Amino acid sequence: MPTLFPTDALDGLIRTGGSCRVNVNVEPGFAPGDKVMAININPRTHTRLPTYVRGKRGIVMRDHGAFIFPDTNAQLKGEKPQHVYSVMFEAGELWGDAEFPGDKVLIDMFEDYLRPTNGK
Amino acid sequence: MNGIHDCGGRHGYGPIDIDREQPIFHADWERRMFGMFILAFGGGHFNIDQFRSTIEQMRPAEYLESTYYEHWLHALETLCVENGTLTRKELDDRLAALSKGTH
Repeated sequence: MPTLFPTDALDGLIRTGGSCRVNVNVEPGFAPGDKVMAININPRTHTRLPTYVRGKRGIVMRDHGAFIFPDTNAQLKGEKPQHVYSVMFEAGELWGDAEFPGDKVLIDMFEDYLRPTNGK
Repeated sequence: MNGIHDCGGRHGYGPIDIDREQPIFHADWERRMFGMFILAFGGGHFNIDQFRSTIEQMRPAEYLESTYYEHWLHALETLCVENGTLTRKELDDRLAALSKGTH
C-alpha cells in the first residue's frame, strides 16, 4: 500500500534519480574476462535484455555490483538481487557484416541474462 | 516484452537529436508531471520497473507519436487506476471539468 514519502529524502531522489543498487551479499557468478552468451528469451513481460543481443557472445568487462532484477520486480514477484556486468560485444557478432566492424557495444547485463560459454 | 520501445539496431528513425541547449522542461505541464511522478513513486504507488513495463505496453503507434512525459502520464494514470488510488471516472470527470474551464 502507498506510504508517505519522507520529505527529507525528496531532494536526493530528484537529484540522483534513485538507484536500484542493493546492499546485500550476493556472490557474483562471473568475473571480468569471462566469455559469456546472452540467453534467448522472449517474455511477454518486462525485461531489460535488448532483442538484438539475445544469443550473442561477449566478454565480461566489469562487475557493477548487485541490483534489483527488473524482470521479476516489474511483476511484483520479488527483487531477486543479482550482479550486473558490463559486457562487451563485437559489432560483427551483433550485426553480421557490420558497417563498422571495429566497433564494440558495451551493455549492462543482469546475471540472469548470461550463460558461460567455456571459452567457445 | 518485444515491444516498440526496444528499437536498438532498427533503421529509419533518423539521427539521434542531441540538443545540449534544450530546456529541462518544454512546458509547465511537464514540470508538474515530474513532480507527480516523484511523489507517487516515493509514496510507494509503484516501483520503477512497473513504471517502465507499463510504458512499454502503450499501443505502439501511440508510443511513437507521443513525447517522453506523455509516456510518464500514461504510466502514472494506468498504475494509479490499477492499484485503486484513482478511478477512471475520476480522471474523466476531472478532464471534463478542465476542458469546460470549471475546475
